[in-house]
Amino acid sequence: MGQHDRYDAIVAGAGHNGLTTACYLAKAGLKVLVVEKNDWIGGAAVSRSLHDGWTYSNCSYVCSLLRREIVRDLELPKYGLQVIPYEGGASFTRDGDYFAYMSDHDALRREMARHSAHDVDAYERFSQTVIRQCRFIRPFLLRNAPDPTSIKPRDISELLFLVKQAHGLGAKELGETLRFWSMSIGDFLDEHFESDLIKAHIAGAGIIGTGLGVYSPGTAYVLLHHYMGDVDGAIGAWGFARGGMGAISNALGACFEEAGGKIVMGSGVDKFLVKDGKATGVALENGDEYYAPIVASNMDVKRTFLQHTGQEHLPEDFTKAVKRFKIRGSSGKLNIALDALPKFPAAPKGAPFLRGDMHCSESLNELERAYDDWKEGRWSQNPYFDMLIPSQIDPTMAPPGKHMMTVFVQYAPYDLEVNGVRSGTNWTDETRKSFAECVFDKLEQACPDIRSKTLHAEIRTPLDIENEVGLTEGNIFQGELTFDQLLFNRPVPGYAQYDTPISGMYIVGSSAHPGGGVMAAPGANAAKEILRNTGKGRAIRGYAA
Amino acid sequence: MSPKTYDAIVIGGGHNGLAAAATLARKGKSVCVIEQNDSCGGMARNAAFASGAQAPQIAHLLYNLNPKVAKELGIGTSKAPLLTKELPTVSLKEDGDHVVIHGTKARLASGAIHPEAATYEELISRLIRFAALLGQLSTKSPPSLDGGLTDLATLGELAGLAKLGLDLKRMGKKEMREFLRVILSNIYDLTLDELADDALAGAMTADAVRGAYAGPRSPGTVFSLMYRLGQGGGTQLPIGGMGAVSRAFEQAARAAGVDILTGKGVTRVLVEEDRAAGVALSDGEVLKARAVLSNAGPKATMMLAGAEHYDVEAVRRMRNQRCKGTAAKVNLLLKSAPVFPGLSAELTAGRLLIAPSATYVERAFNPAKYGELPSDPVIELVIPSLTDPSLATDNQHILSAVVSFVPHGLEGGWDKSAQDRLVALTLGTLEKYSPGISDLVLEQQVMSPADIEAATGAPGGHWHHAEMGIDQILTVRPANGMAHYRFGPVGYYLCGAGAHPGGDVTGVAGRNSALQLLKDGVL
Repeated sequence: MGQHDRYDAIVAGAGHNGLTTACYLAKAGLKVLVVEKNDWIGGAAVSRSLHDGWTYSNCSYVCSLLRREIVRDLELPKYGLQVIPYEGGASFTRDGDYFAYMSDHDALRREMARHSAHDVDAYERFSQTVIRQCRFIRPFLLRNAPDPTSIKPRDISELLFLVKQAHGLGAKELGETLRFWSMSIGDFLDEHFESDLIKAHIAGAGIIGTGLGVYSPGTAYVLLHHYMGDVDGAIGAWGFARGGMGAISNALGACFEEAGGKIVMGSGVDKFLVKDGKATGVALENGDEYYAPIVASNMDVKRTFLQHTGQEHLPEDFTKAVKRFKIRGSSGKLNIALDALPKFPAAPKGAPFLRGDMHCSESLNELERAYDDWKEGRWSQNPYFDMLIPSQIDPTMAPPGKHMMTVFVQYAPYDLEVNGVRSGTNWTDETRKSFAECVFDKLEQACPDIRSKTLHAEIRTPLDIENEVGLTEGNIFQGELTFDQLLFNRPVPGYAQYDTPISGMYIVGSSAHPGGGVMAAPGANAAKEILRNTGKGRAIRGYAA
Repeated sequence: MSPKTYDAIVIGGGHNGLAAAATLARKGKSVCVIEQNDSCGGMARNAAFASGAQAPQIAHLLYNLNPKVAKELGIGTSKAPLLTKELPTVSLKEDGDHVVIHGTKARLASGAIHPEAATYEELISRLIRFAALLGQLSTKSPPSLDGGLTDLATLGELAGLAKLGLDLKRMGKKEMREFLRVILSNIYDLTLDELADDALAGAMTADAVRGAYAGPRSPGTVFSLMYRLGQGGGTQLPIGGMGAVSRAFEQAARAAGVDILTGKGVTRVLVEEDRAAGVALSDGEVLKARAVLSNAGPKATMMLAGAEHYDVEAVRRMRNQRCKGTAAKVNLLLKSAPVFPGLSAELTAGRLLIAPSATYVERAFNPAKYGELPSDPVIELVIPSLTDPSLATDNQHILSAVVSFVPHGLEGGWDKSAQDRLVALTLGTLEKYSPGISDLVLEQQVMSPADIEAATGAPGGHWHHAEMGIDQILTVRPANGMAHYRFGPVGYYLCGAGAHPGGDVTGVAGRNSALQLLKDGVL
């Protein structure tokens, strides 16, 4: 038999949330172990060298949501984290035109006017609303979701905080907020804009990573999940982590180890050990066992409880709720090593928006149809994608003169339909290849020479993401961001404060409030909860104290 | 004509207009209802075939009439008689193994118990319980914070919400959590978490989205099902056709002393010094009143008074209202009763659904988003003449079909050929469940959403005047800041389905608006 060490706390999974929890716990003086199934840390926030000389951010690819309170608490820049903002982005049309989004306000107005004079003014109203909604929601990200059925003083005070915030908005704004939260991004954009292209450019943020269409109610809220971040305090700005998204995980890892934590890689958790309803540790796949009275799972809630926990330890209702928790694979990725920068004939040479996020979708209907395809288990023949070439800003991603492109594709089904049968096993080399070809075809709309510049492409289906990262169905949010799965409903009603039916066991990943994105908020909130429950709440300074 | 000044004029003699008028008249006010068509009834009226057979022109079943309103107005009494018969629901399957739903009980048409009967009963009963809780909000004005927390009226409204909260707590933690989980979710997942994707799930999801611009996978559709289940979920066939329902409302109004003027439209609402002062009619006549209520759609209501009486934001909100009608109506006169293999004569008289699975329902919705007709439509059909033989003669029968997900904005427009395509699509679908039914057809009537809009003024031909999405209910129905039936100028009120609590033949919006008007002290 292998090791049998004892710790104060064990974190299962070295994703960015798991590492964040581990950092806070270690800084509070706990003896903490992180176990990770892969030979590297980071989960879906990784930089990997899959083609000689190139670094792929091969899962998550841009940074904005990472809470700055956490960056500050854990001093991540000290451990090498540097976020470089990018400016603007563009959507290219089939007929050779484009709409460029620029962070320079006047430039943006001029560009919008090129498509619709009406939309120039509409944009002012639009961005005001979105920023207001972001401001409203941000204070909730680093707070626990109150349990509305509870009469505990903490829950009541959290509820009162919510009521106070809501009341502070005033009647009119409150009405707008209620409406915004329950609208579809499509309807919301239709209310403001008239240009199909402008609408399509913005709409992507409402559907990325979800199993919803642009006209599904609730997607306006998802938009916030992509807008409420910031880079150095610039709300809504996005950036690249220098060296790829792995830089975030590596900084967290370094912080953790400096605080005395230990990471064991290469073998995943086989079973969470439970005795008399209490967590006692983990048994790894390689036979090692580690013991601790606190066990935090960074795995999604389905994987944690349906695969790695003995069902006898869980109430039936809880298991049922976990089973019905929706984690749907809806996106794929292409990571491409480029011999040289592809040409974008539509754009002026050296246009700054080429360094930002680029799309090729022209209308909301086109996006909605792509969703309809996904519902039937197909990838869209006309897919939506979010494409970036980070090596233009961060030369460390590729050899000199060469480039790296990341293409996030929405929608790709997990259970692919072939001949009337839907199954993950339908993702074969052949179907993966045709999926990639389909994306390349559409990429040519923006850069016709993309195929000839491609040296290597890594195709990632939801199944690949599940296999590599461990995310159920490859869902990037560890669970759909719909209202039945947010706040006090996330992940399971009654267990929305990182706790589980097993005493001492916690859920610290994106399955928990406030959900996915490289935000680290669930991990930090969970750490705060754990420290509170162990009476160590005041041991560290900073946010979690 | 009468130079008299009415206390209130109601524009539109749909059931809500009549309910509003009757409510005011019963409080001693002088009220006149103006209806542009030759008779009252709005969407609840009969349409005659050439042979004289009476078909329900648009709505064909009653399932949400509010008992409180009915009681207040005396509907169902000798003054305003209304007879109904409760129908079972049959979810049809092509193989004849139909599912029969009586209340909360599911069985198979063969008589056997449905294998999922127990699960279904638990699921639907819970939704009915939740619906009853929500229902208490429907007969009050929606809660708001308009006046701030020091305002008595606001506190009163919030008390209604607090009562709901208490009732929720009283259900126990488990139920309360379930309520808070499902209230905003989608019917597709809720159903398929429990049931196999078959005709029973199909019926449940189809009922949630009928008349809505939403597929079962759209979040918010559990709420729309709860709305439908507000009165327990039973489905009533009115004896004498839907026209009988309007007639009952009309009789109730007349009994209360309401004047009804038909065959004249209102061209304009007179506004004097920011107060509603009367209406101008299509024949040039002017009728004066101290208050005006409009049963038209919210935007039309605004335009009748003139956009200049509203702030820019209100106008924009009205322009942005979601009201894309998706339900079309096809009525067929059949030379004899159709035969549905596997279905007894008694069940054939029930409410028949073509919604063999939840996936089928979702697929049917897809094309509507792009202005196309579904290839396999969801249909709710009823043959009222089997229950009420007085509707037709010579052994003939009327088949009334609501075809879901037929877009108002059909690509190419709603011309005769589009209508013919809709009939062909309906018959083609019916043939799968009742082979040979096409040969029985003597006559047909078609009402596309565009026709419904033209006939009734309902915006977009939408059943509920405005989509019953979460973003358009309660405090934000019909729009943020306009939820209290008060509609711009003092004394001008919205009394139709576009106002809280929304559509269906309930009578609640009309009755609530009248009460709000009285409470506001306008009269």
